[in-house]
Amino acid sequence: MSLQLTAILAEVAPHFDGYVYPNESGSHPLWGVLIVLYPYITGLVAGAFIMASLVRVFRVKALEPVYRLSLLTALAFLLCATLPLLLHLGHPERSYQIMITPHLTSPMAIFGFVYAWYLMAVLLLELWFDYRGDLVNWGRTEPGLRGFIYRLLTVGVSDVSPAAIALDHKLSWIISILGIPSAFLLHGYVGFIFGSIKANPWWGNAIMPIIFILSAMVSGIALCVFVYMVLSWRRRRALDMRCLDVMGMYLFYALVIDAAIEALDWIHRAYSAEEGFHVMEYMAQQRLFYTLSIGQLLMGTLIPLLTLGSLQVARKFVSDAIRTRLYFTCAIFVLLGVLAMRWNVVMGGQFFSKSLRGVMSYKLEFAGAEGWFLGLMLLSLPFIILTVLIKLFLSQSLLTSGHVPHRPDPT
Amino acid sequence: MRCFQMPPQVFRVVLLIFAIGVSYLVARTLLTPASFHEYGFYRGAALAEHTTRHEPVFAGKLACGVRHPDVLKTLAKGGHKNLSCEACHGVVSPQHLTDPTSNMDKPSGAICLRCHEASPSRPAGFRQIVVKDHYAEKCIECHLPHEPNEVP
Ligand code: HEC
Ligand code: HEC
Ligand code: HEC
Repeated sequence: MSLQLTAILAEVAPHFDGYVYPNESGSHPLWGVLIVLYPYITGLVAGAFIMASLVRVFRVKALEPVYRLSLLTALAFLLCATLPLLLHLGHPERSYQIMITPHLTSPMAIFGFVYAWYLMAVLLLELWFDYRGDLVNWGRTEPGLRGFIYRLLTVGVSDVSPAAIALDHKLSWIISILGIPSAFLLHGYVGFIFGSIKANPWWGNAIMPIIFILSAMVSGIALCVFVYMVLSWRRRRALDMRCLDVMGMYLFYALVIDAAIEALDWIHRAYSAEEGFHVMEYMAQQRLFYTLSIGQLLMGTLIPLLTLGSLQVARKFVSDAIRTRLYFTCAIFVLLGVLAMRWNVVMGGQFFSKSLRGVMSYKLEFAGAEGWFLGLMLLSLPFIILTVLIKLFLSQSLLTSGHVPHRPDPT
Repeated sequence: MRCFQMPPQVFRVVLLIFAIGVSYLVARTLLTPASFHEYGFYRGAALAEHTTRHEPVFAGKLACGVRHPDVLKTLAKGGHKNLSCEACHGVVSPQHLTDPTSNMDKPSGAICLRCHEASPSRPAGFRQIVVKDHYAEKCIECHLPHEPNEVP
């Protein structure tokens, strides 16, 4: 009998240990690596944008060299932010329908509005006002297709009088201020999607949006560090050490706050002994040990925190070459750590049964719509777009006006 | 008096946003699937598409009842009244429908355990047994599958 029984069970629930509800016993979790990448990519957008607003709104002069770079990075990633969702849904022949049938009461569908607002009203406009003067000039000097693109992007406005440029800067500054809450909205929204799922103790949590925003800032700054360093090496240009130090400093601050909030979340759950805490503990110790304890906690948080923290104190004693390497390593660790965090949230929440007494095992596959190969492709796409954007808008052969942060008139 | 003039770049942006908005509305009216609001916030035609894509698998209790009205009647009296025949007998094979003499496999006792083996995830009032404490395999030697209420 027991043999037959196991045969039946093997047919019904192939990947579970413990007690699970029949409707949970699918052959794979509903959300896979694509849904992991979705919050990751949107987070990078929001983070890179906030990095850029440090220059614009908070006038951190030292970060001037990465202002445009971080905006372009945000744009490159934003252009790919919807792709994981669309790929996950399948049916490319119907993908446009999701855009022409907006729904006002579905939290998932609200992403359309959040995304459209952020792309159209914030990022593109800020970039356009920032670049407009340069675009007009480049359109006049550059020949061929390049010049044509610049001329097209001016949408026919060729006024580069000082008054017009001053207005551009002012508008760009206003949009930038608007952009900060928008960036929080964009990523807070993604956290909200998970945080509002009451039935799942791993997700249902009022501070989920805040955790998402903070980790987004951390990953976005790390991404800017990474992109800036790689770009400088490719161009064989000396790194601006002051800029790098300041980025490292902000990365450290963001990381401190992020780590503190996430730790608070765990401490609060442990102390209040919420119903689901046992299964979460089990997940952290067993099922998600590598991605959570090693990836997210050790690699993504503790090591960068200690390294960057000691650099804040002992910057003078560390040579430029070593500091550069340390920043680079920290940036990569943080980027991987935040990716692990997204994995832990999205997949971790699906790995245990709603009975809180059963756990699923899942092996990431290579091929297929939810395989890691497609995920890797998807993750390299924004870098390809960014390369094109940099060729077009940050080319060394182009003269720039030099960006002057807008200062509101004291009068 | 000079009337207010919008700066050219702002004017172009407003114009552009307006154009995007209008083309979106046009696209919306043209591209929204015809059956979209037929029943609710989805494509009504999707339902028909699904029914043609998937052949029905189960025949259903009433189909069995055409040939086995007696079993249907006895089953309706006991504790198994809400079960469908195919829950125990498996999917009706096409041969069985055209040629009733081609027997379906008689289900063994193992099938009972799919529902009756004790498990804490089942509702508390549900009749459950722990197999190894309950005469093991040959359920049908004592219980009548169609009349489970008959106490053996
Ligand atoms: C609880 C599970 C179960 C359900 C529900 C069930 N059956 Fe059965 N049925 C059995 C088992 C077990 C046997 C085998 C009995 C045996 O071997 O003596 C059987 C035997 C039969 C037989 C063979 C006749 C006989 O008495 O040997 C027929 C015909 C039959 N079932 C028809 C039906 C029909 C029609 C329905 C739906 C109205 C139905 N059964 C629902 C479990 C079930
Ligand atoms: C598809 C699920 C299912 C299968 C398979 C099944 N049963 Fe049941 N059984 C039920 C349900 C539902 C009840 C009603 C429980 C209740 O009312 O609490 C029930 C009730 C019973 C009862 C108690 C009847 C009473 O009220 O006194 C017995 C005995 C029983 N089944 C025996 C069997 C045997 C023997 C088999 C195998 C031939 C079998 N069952 C297969 C679902 C199933
Ligand atoms: C030797 C005869 C015999 C065999 C074999 C047998 N049972 Fe029973 N079963 C009984 C008797 C007698 C009762 C009534 C016990 C009672 O009411 O306390 C019973 C009760 C039950 C009940 C109701 C339990 C409850 O809590 O009311 C279920 C369910 C059941 N049996 C399922 C099965 C299944 C499934 C098998 C096959 C693995 C099986 N039985 C094999 C004799 C048998």
